[in-house]
Amino acid sequence: MNADEIVSGLVLELRRGTLILLVLSQLREPMYGYNLVKKLNDRDIPMDANTLYPLMRRLEGQGLLKSQWETGEGKPRKYYQITPEGQEVLEKTREYWNSFAKNVNAMLEGDI
Amino acid sequence: MKNDLIERYIYAVTRRMDHRIRNDVQQELYSLVDDMLAERCGGLAPSEKDIRVVLTELGTPQELYARYSDDGEKCLIGQPYYGTWKLVTKIVLAAVGIGVTVSALLESFAGTQTWYESVLSWLAMLWSGGMQGIGVVTILFAVFSRKGVQLGEPYNLDNLPPVPKKRQQISRGDCIFAIAFCAVITVLLLAAPQYLIGYWGPDKVIALFDTQVLNRCWYLILIFAVADITRSTVRLLEGQYNRKTLIVTLAANAVAAAAAALWLTMPNLINGEFVIHVQEAMAGEEAFIRNIFMNFDRFLLVVILLALILDTVEAAVKTLKK
Repeated sequence: MNADEIVSGLVLELRRGTLILLVLSQLREPMYGYNLVKKLNDRDIPMDANTLYPLMRRLEGQGLLKSQWETGEGKPRKYYQITPEGQEVLEKTREYWNSFAKNVNAMLEGDI
Repeated sequence: MKNDLIERYIYAVTRRMDHRIRNDVQQELYSLVDDMLAERCGGLAPSEKDIRVVLTELGTPQELYARYSDDGEKCLIGQPYYGTWKLVTKIVLAAVGIGVTVSALLESFAGTQTWYESVLSWLAMLWSGGMQGIGVVTILFAVFSRKGVQLGEPYNLDNLPPVPKKRQQISRGDCIFAIAFCAVITVLLLAAPQYLIGYWGPDKVIALFDTQVLNRCWYLILIFAVADITRSTVRLLEGQYNRKTLIVTLAANAVAAAAAALWLTMPNLINGEFVIHVQEAMAGEEAFIRNIFMNFDRFLLVVILLALILDTVEAAVKTLKK
């Protein structure tokens, strides 16, 4: 296995670990799935629709997201939004992430 | 947008889903495909090629179904059982292979079949025996996995089990040999009982068992084998004599003893021709010796029961002795 393959595997693992945090953070306002895919891609955080859609459904099953079909104008779309439980999970995970990322960055930069 | 290919794709993804979510996922996927096509084609009508590109991007229906399924990470035999399942399956398959090959060789020596009939019958027995072996072991481990049978004590720093004394350790080799031996004998009894020879003389060969009677009690032989393999497998998993191996030993040996008692007391189990031969050939021998051969089924039962009792006592002593 060459270095590129190893890096690609590591990047995948890192991305997988932060996926839920990212999704919850972006759904403070209602948003439909494909809109979120594009938003993340625009920020150079590639996420496939076939990963995001099942994930959002799973988070809904866990009570962290709620959803609603909107059929008013244009095509019907399912909008997802974070619930109070999801908000609580997001805040706690975000706090951990901030401290973790700070320490990791410090170690990577050789400050520790 | 309705399109036959899209409909068939979404149907393939959702057809095995629970009916409570199926419609919702279907609508969601239609909406997603629409969005992806709109993104790809702008205001233009999507072509067949565009649809194919978008659906390919979504992955195969099986992959997408697996991602939606809550069972995605569940499996029939998960860790920590999988490794031992693999080991026991290999042992059983090897034993079945040996048993079937031995019976096929015996059959070819008997010369009742042409060479290609022998090869075909060997392959058929190999296949059916292998499938049965895998089936029994898999069901056993699926039950372990489903019931969450603990391998060793639950982990807790304060009650980590002591390193077993040498006499409490169970040799992996012994367990593997016991499983293999049981599988070979079971294959021979079930697949080729006519080659379990009672007498092999220059003039004739006589089978020990009456194959018709033996075939009627196949389920008792299978119960005996499952009990025996269960006991050896649990010992293999635990690696030492402890309360669990003792309980399993007691239960498995009781089941095996009951199955053996029912099996070996079936009327006319021993081949009548063999009994007559013993009467004639051993007329001059002591009655005790002659009786052993004439009532070989009962003799075998006594030997099996003694072996089971000794095994139980050994397990009890090694478990309880400090």
